[in-house]
Amino acid sequence: MILDLHTHSIASDDGRAKVENYCQWIQRKALPLDGFVLTEHRQFDEASDYRGLEDKFGLLILKASEVETEYGHVLVFGVNENLRAAFDFARIDNPLSMVLAESKRCGAVAVPCHPGRPKVGLCAHWEVRGPVEGVHAVETLNGGSREGENEQALEYANKFGWNQIGGSDSHIVSHIGRYATRFKKNLTSMDDLVAELTNGRCEAIRPEVSRT
Amino acid sequence: MNIEEINSRFAGHVFDKIDLKIKTESMVGYAKACGETEPRFLDPEHPDFQAVPNYPTRIHGTRGLPEDFPIDMRRCFDAGKSVTLHTPIRKGDQIQGRSEIAEIYEKTGRSGAMIFIVHRMNFYNQNDAHLATVDWRLVQRELA
Repeated sequence: MILDLHTHSIASDDGRAKVENYCQWIQRKALPLDGFVLTEHRQFDEASDYRGLEDKFGLLILKASEVETEYGHVLVFGVNENLRAAFDFARIDNPLSMVLAESKRCGAVAVPCHPGRPKVGLCAHWEVRGPVEGVHAVETLNGGSREGENEQALEYANKFGWNQIGGSDSHIVSHIGRYATRFKKNLTSMDDLVAELTNGRCEAIRPEVSRT
Repeated sequence: MNIEEINSRFAGHVFDKIDLKIKTESMVGYAKACGETEPRFLDPEHPDFQAVPNYPTRIHGTRGLPEDFPIDMRRCFDAGKSVTLHTPIRKGDQIQGRSEIAEIYEKTGRSGAMIFIVHRMNFYNQNDAHLATVDWRLVQRELA
C-alpha cells in the first residue's frame, strides 16, 4: 500500500489545493497512490470529514499535523485530544524532545520532516544544538526539497538507524505523489498507520508514474 | 510585545471604515483588466450584471494597520489576498468596507521566522447585506 504522508490543503495558510481536487488529480493521472495524509501546518483539522471522498475515489484520506519545534518541522500522526492538550500546535518554538515524548505518551508518532532543509530541518539544528533523544523516524524523501537536502536526510537516517518515510509536501494539486511511503500491510485507519510507523514497517519511495 | 499580546489587543476590532458607490465603468474596467470574458461581468445590460468576484481586492481603506500597531507596515511585504464572496456586488451599490485585524501568527520557513498579519476587510451594501470578505496577508521577518 502506498500513501503520500505529507500534504497540505487549503486548511493550511499556504495551501492552495482542495482535498477533492487532490483526489481528482490522483484519479485522472492514475497515480499509484492508495491515499494520502493531510498534515496541516500548526493545527489539527478536526472539523473536516472526508469519508464521502474516500468512498467516491476509493482512497484512504487521513488527518495529521505538521508542528514546529526549535529543531524544525515535525509531522505528527495519530493526533488525539490528549496530545492536543499536551502542547500548543500553533507555537513555532515547541521543544522537539517534548513533542516526541508527548506523542509517544499519547499513542501518536512524531517524525521530523525535511530534515535537510535549512532553518526548519533537523540536521542543521542537530549539529548546533546537539542530539535529541526519541527520534526514530525521519522523512528522507520530501517533494519540496532542494538539491542535497534529501541526501543529507538519508545520510542522517542511515547513520542513526532511523526509519524512513516519504511525502510530497504538496501545497498545490499537481505536486501530490512526488514522493510517498510504501507499507507492507494494508492500512485502513490512523491507528494502523501509527502502528506501522512505530514498527518501521515502511519505506520511502518515489512512486512510478505511468507515462502512457 | 509578543504575538499573544498583539492578538489579544488588536484582533477582531474594526479600526477603519470606508464608504463608496459602485460605478458601472469601474466594474467593467476591472473585469476587462482581469481578462474576464463572461457577459454578466462585462455587459451592464446583462440581467445578472455584477462585479467579478475579486473586485473587492481593489478597494483599500484609509489605513493598513490600526493606530499604535506595534509592527511597522513599511517593513512588511504583501503575501497575497483571498476573497470569499457572499453576495454579488451590483452597479449602484453603496458599499461600506470595514477593516479589522483578523489574526496575527508566526511560522518558520527556509528564511527563518516570520510574522503574518491578516488584515480582513468585510464589505456590506446599503441593505447591510454581507457582500465579501477579503483577507490580505502581510508578512515580515521575525520581530526585532
